[in-house]
Amino acid sequence: MSLSGEMIAFIMLSLVAIIGGILLINLTKVVHMVIALVFTFVSVAGLYVLLSAEFLAAVQILIYSGAITIIMLFGIMLTRHNDSNEKTAGLWRKLMLFAGIAGFGLAVYAGIYNLDIPVQETKLHEDNTRQIGMALYSDHIIPFELTSVLLLAALIGAIILAKKDDEEKEGEE
Amino acid sequence: MVEDLLASSPGLLNFGIFFLLATVLLLVILGFVTYAILAERKVMGFMQLRQGPNQVGGRWGLLQTVADVLKLLIKEDTIPKAADKPLFILAPVIAFAPAFMVVAVIPFTDKLQFADIGVGLLYYIAISGLSTVGIVAGGWASNNKYALLGGMRAAAQMISYEIPLVMSVLGVILLAGSLNLNDIVDAQSNGWFILKQPIGFIIFLIASIAELNRTPFDLPEAESELVAGFHVEYSGFRWAFFMLSEYVYLFAMASLTTVLFLGGWGPLPFMDFIPGAVWFSLKFSLIVFLLIWVRVTLPRMRADQLMEFGWKVLLPVALANIFLTALLKELVDFM
Repeated sequence: MSLSGEMIAFIMLSLVAIIGGILLINLTKVVHMVIALVFTFVSVAGLYVLLSAEFLAAVQILIYSGAITIIMLFGIMLTRHNDSNEKTAGLWRKLMLFAGIAGFGLAVYAGIYNLDIPVQETKLHEDNTRQIGMALYSDHIIPFELTSVLLLAALIGAIILAKKDDEEKEGEE
Repeated sequence: MVEDLLASSPGLLNFGIFFLLATVLLLVILGFVTYAILAERKVMGFMQLRQGPNQVGGRWGLLQTVADVLKLLIKEDTIPKAADKPLFILAPVIAFAPAFMVVAVIPFTDKLQFADIGVGLLYYIAISGLSTVGIVAGGWASNNKYALLGGMRAAAQMISYEIPLVMSVLGVILLAGSLNLNDIVDAQSNGWFILKQPIGFIIFLIASIAELNRTPFDLPEAESELVAGFHVEYSGFRWAFFMLSEYVYLFAMASLTTVLFLGGWGPLPFMDFIPGAVWFSLKFSLIVFLLIWVRVTLPRMRADQLMEFGWKVLLPVALANIFLTALLKELVDFM
């Protein structure tokens, strides 16, 4: 394993992604957590770029940057600002947890160390936006349309829920 | 020259060259921002029958912005006691970094471009969305009602207007058949997209003004309602960073409009003896002037009008535009 530029980029991006994830769990304020989440998502997009999936990377940022802002707004509006997490776990539970994590790590390491993934010649990285479009609109057209119907149903559901609230409020007044 | 560099093998030397080029680009953009602010104040002054800056640096006030920046640099840097300190410091950085990142994909001429990405257009829109996070974070970290209100408005406005922005560009993508900005410019060699996509252009222009937070859509920093909006508590150089990112976005958005609708560096017919860079800067200056003109002449919209206009007018019209474009394209291909 040589230390090429790609390797360095991979190490940096994955470090940022992992640190962002850890901070997301450990920070106490909601808005700080959301900012940590931004770093995780952006570095995952960077990993997609390393895998030459540029379309996926752009879409990842496009969708999550909007979504994160919304999460942040909800975080600001729906939580108490001076609230901090209470420490609950005792020593015994922490030890059990550590043993579980270590066991999981060992199992994954053992499973992955000698895993032999055959390298295939693919053309997936060339012009992948076009390829994704072709696949979506030819082979996978029915699941794609079903997803859009599902999203539409969710949208209408959200509108109905929001509308109902308004009417009830007007009734109360 | 740049194409060879982009295709060359990675190494310390190439890294150095890229670093140097990026620094030069940053300096060019800073120069643009300096004089864009002056131009804005001058044009605004003339349109309102005033003089504008005319003291520092001769009759045209050429050193006014330089003096302003110097003042900002030596100003006291205040952080409110009740502010969320780490976030307060981080927010201007999050707001500014994407503004500079998007400039990388813009092709200024056929030779001068920093990154030729297959999904260039998508990259621009995706990265520019990240700035909103910085603005909301700054508004929240200030721990001030006005700042928070400004941040909330910024989030609502930028997310709402990102949708018509993307939708209006889809017509261009349909006609060009590519997301790559170079291909889009090439597709305009026989007719700019402003002629083939007039509705798309108007929607794009309106939505881009909203994305830039400029009057008539400058609700996040509406002075008469929110003091200064999301950056009330910022002073000195941190405040300058918010302003800087705003003007760098002006640069980037005017360049993008030029590339998408005005044929980029492509010349008018029979006039291709003028180099591409000159054409690009002419069209670019025209768009910047248009943006300043709109800012000077229109009053600010109300928040509910803004939302209603975005969702009930711009979005349906943009969708109709996509439908019409696809229909016409198929008909023309068919005949």
